[in-house]
Amino acid sequence: TMSSSENPSTSLFREYLRIRTVHPDPDYGNQFLVRVAKDIGLESRKVKLSSGRDILVMTWQGTDPKLKSVILNSHIDVVPVYEDLWTHPPFAAHKDEAGNIYARGTQDMKCVTIQYLEALRQLKSDGSHFPRTIHLTLVPDEETGGHTGMELFVDYPEFKDLNPGITLDEGLASPTEEFSVFYGEKCPWWITVHCRGD
Amino acid sequence: IDESYPWWKAFSKPCNELGLKLKPEIFPAGTDSRYIRQAGYPALGFSPMNHTPILLHDHNEYLNEDVFLRGIHIYNKIISSLASVPAFDEEL
Repeated sequence: TMSSSENPSTSLFREYLRIRTVHPDPDYGNQFLVRVAKDIGLESRKVKLSSGRDILVMTWQGTDPKLKSVILNSHIDVVPVYEDLWTHPPFAAHKDEAGNIYARGTQDMKCVTIQYLEALRQLKSDGSHFPRTIHLTLVPDEETGGHTGMELFVDYPEFKDLNPGITLDEGLASPTEEFSVFYGEKCPWWITVHCRGD
Repeated sequence: IDESYPWWKAFSKPCNELGLKLKPEIFPAGTDSRYIRQAGYPALGFSPMNHTPILLHDHNEYLNEDVFLRGIHIYNKIISSLASVPAFDEEL
């Protein structure tokens, strides 16, 4: 591999891509994320939900903690693959000569999780301090609707205790020069049709 | 989007300074942000990936390393800006 000369942020991203947090049975062991948090110097804790799933919360305390916080949210899970349709194995995080990294989760959304973490690592090592507290929330099961993850978590006192101000969450890639920013979204509306015979 | 809204100002200002062209949109599907918004808290959906084909959930999903690394720099500036927003009336 090129790991000896590779940017450490890229190496960390590729390491995360190799963890099979893929449905229907995602590896939610989270040791990797807890280790990275510790390495950066972020407190991390788990909130256990009634679904049996955990939310991982990492916190960088602000200098004025009564102010509302900045929440950097990302989901850990990824959708399944049809492996035979991939040119590179989807959990190998192969990087080609053009610098393209192939893996399930490169766009949705392990990139964002590592970008949040590496941005915080830089800011911490620069000696930055901010008035507002920054929380990272790492959640399960977004790809199956969030019913066992974020949908439950927002009703927990532990969520309110984050004192949420603004939350950043995933967007989408953009094929042009522009960057998409989403300020709302379409809501799912499930319709059940019963067809009764005679 | 209300251009005077403090969170939006704090998000868009560093993006403008970095020369990023932002395109505010409604997300075409569902994310966890809907639960956060339903609970009454604002949320922005943003993944700093331009010049990238939309391949979520697709075969050969990939991201270029340079786009990824630039994203760290972009978040560095956005997070700094958001975490520095002075107390404003509507939040108290």
